[in-house]
Amino acid sequence: MRTTSGRTTAWTAPQSGPDETEITTLLTQGKVVEALLSALQNAPLRCKNQIVKDHALNITLRVLLSIKSTQIDQAIDTVDQNDLIDVLMKYIYRGFEIPSEGSSGHLLQWHEKAFAKGGVGCIVRVLSDTNRA
Amino acid sequence: MAATLKPYLTAVRHSLTAAMCLQDFPSQVVERHNKPEVEICSSKELVLTPIVVSRNEREKVLIEPSINSVRVSIAVKQADEIEKILCHKFTRFMMRRAESFAILRRKPIEGYDISFLITNCHTEQMYKHKLVDFVISFMEEIDKEISEMKLAVNARARTCAEEFLKRF
Repeated sequence: MRTTSGRTTAWTAPQSGPDETEITTLLTQGKVVEALLSALQNAPLRCKNQIVKDHALNITLRVLLSIKSTQIDQAIDTVDQNDLIDVLMKYIYRGFEIPSEGSSGHLLQWHEKAFAKGGVGCIVRVLSDTNRA
Repeated sequence: MAATLKPYLTAVRHSLTAAMCLQDFPSQVVERHNKPEVEICSSKELVLTPIVVSRNEREKVLIEPSINSVRVSIAVKQADEIEKILCHKFTRFMMRRAESFAILRRKPIEGYDISFLITNCHTEQMYKHKLVDFVISFMEEIDKEISEMKLAVNARARTCAEEFLKRF
């Protein structure tokens, strides 16, 4: 039952968004998977403030783009164990909206692997969820 | 560049498959009318989150799903002036004949080159997977078509210039 659990994570998520300093330290230490988990767990999905959301998007995108192609599988496994694959998918789609040099190609890899794990359902939940990333 | 084409098309295919879950939905405003909700946006709970799949800055696909219709807009790669003109002419040619294409929209969404409007009638009359296949093959073809036309235009221009300059 990923639907209900995905919704509960969004429900309990804080409004302030991910902690930038914590994620930057995790990234510099090379703990990219932990950084991704932290970013997704603290995603301000129910927040009404677009500035907070955009800030969270920038942080999450930075984490996503700093994870190398070889580490994506491992990262997605960890994300899936924590029932955050829907949140990840939301950020992948948001990332497509602001294409920069080489980012889309990398996000396409993320999309392919997240789809392999989550199936059509996780895209449908991106479409139908009102708590947008 | 070529390496990202296949994942791009796969991502679009999966997103389209997910978005094309349409059902019959009569208008809530006018009795006995049945309108595509994505076009009139009569109430916001009927329109779902629009998503974008992009390959780079210029090539992207916008998918706007709603309860009984989905709008798919495609931005085609345009590297130079000739490609811009060819793309404009080509899409305009097809959009003037939109009736015979069934799912083609008569006008593209702003910022995109060509739009499709797929309603629940279309998914009932046609196979959903074939509709998805059509959009994907259209995206493959239009790139190929435009680069071929560009080569043909250049070749013709060269021959014309040669013939013309022979006299001098």
